[in-house]
Amino acid sequence: MIIKLEDTLDQLYEIEGIEACMLYRIDGVPITLRAPGYREDLLETMFWLEKHIRRVLGEMNREGLKETIFYFRNSRILIAPSSKSTVLVTIAKGEANQQLISLEALRATRIIEACVA
Amino acid sequence: MKNGRILTGIYGLDDLMDGGFRKNTINSIYGGPGVGKTTFALQYSLFGLDRGEKVLYVSFEMSEQQIIRDCTDIGWGIVKDYIEEGDLKILHIFGEDLEFPSLDITEIIKKSISGHNPRIVIDPFTYPTFYSDKEKRKSISTIFQDLRTLGTTIVVLEEPADGATSTNTTGTGEIQTNNKALSMPLYLSDTVLFLQNLGFGEMYDRTIRIMKHRGSKHGEGIYPYSIETGLGIVLRASKKQIERVMPKTKFDERFVKAIEKTRSMGELGNILAARIEILRKNWVHDEDPQQILEMVIEQEKK
Repeated sequence: MIIKLEDTLDQLYEIEGIEACMLYRIDGVPITLRAPGYREDLLETMFWLEKHIRRVLGEMNREGLKETIFYFRNSRILIAPSSKSTVLVTIAKGEANQQLISLEALRATRIIEACVA
Repeated sequence: MKNGRILTGIYGLDDLMDGGFRKNTINSIYGGPGVGKTTFALQYSLFGLDRGEKVLYVSFEMSEQQIIRDCTDIGWGIVKDYIEEGDLKILHIFGEDLEFPSLDITEIIKKSISGHNPRIVIDPFTYPTFYSDKEKRKSISTIFQDLRTLGTTIVVLEEPADGATSTNTTGTGEIQTNNKALSMPLYLSDTVLFLQNLGFGEMYDRTIRIMKHRGSKHGEGIYPYSIETGLGIVLRASKKQIERVMPKTKFDERFVKAIEKTRSMGELGNILAARIEILRKNWVHDEDPQQILEMVIEQEKK
């Protein structure tokens, strides 16, 4: 199951325009991530996510949202819960194919749910 | 024991901990109710007992009968034989009965241990009461120093039942606890393992995180585990997670060049070369060390 989960993230990370993808636990603890080497802007985003993911998920749950998008500088951050206790975050370049990334991210959440639930 | 390491006996954990606990250290198992702290301690004990080691189990909570019953339920009925043979000694004491914890605990343990470098378990360590914060730190420090001379110890620490609010982990992996009584043993321990259970019944609900492992390389992620009847705690780290802890040799050439360069710096260069050699043997990252090596050499030239 863990291999399948890791493969799913590998495949998502290979999509053109995706800068990083991370699987978080709902308490903000990163489970596994795919990201390039040292990138200050990505690190800042990751720290922000770790701090706020619990609150964002609470709001999403209240509003009944399946995904939420934040824009930081030129990055588009897609937050999509993947199971009761996990959430998938995808960071993509602003000019990337957003529709494709959204579809692939949502497909990945379904695979992750099958792995962890 | 392997390469000076005491194997934890937890399936899948030693690979992430540079081979296990260091000999003669204090290792804290920290977590809320129902995460498997006592199972961890019993599994650690059983692993040693199966290999002919001696174990002293100091219980501030459960009696010998309760421990035997719990072990039998999980499929470890053999502990009864170990008790009869004298390899496992269970001491059931009450924390409130200790007048001077720092003196009493170590005295009791000293009198009860047999064999060389036994495995020692204190479950839970939360019970001994101390008079003041100042006295507490000194007492815990004294207890830990004494225990280090006696064997390799596991100390079970209980997170308060409202753990979700009282204890949090930050992005840097640091435990933030509001409870001073709990944080002190964590700071003074050589190793801290944080066990969590979110309670949704999913794979990443039950996780182990190695918060601290002095003088050792260790995995920095969270690792899912389950408690299996007959086996105990089984960790499920992925191959990639295990590989991340293994030293990488693909950058050896860079290190060798850096060592050659530093040797030409005179006496200070030789000291630095030895350090870079140690770094080479312990380089676990996939990143090229070139930038770090250049920075270090420049700094040391000053």
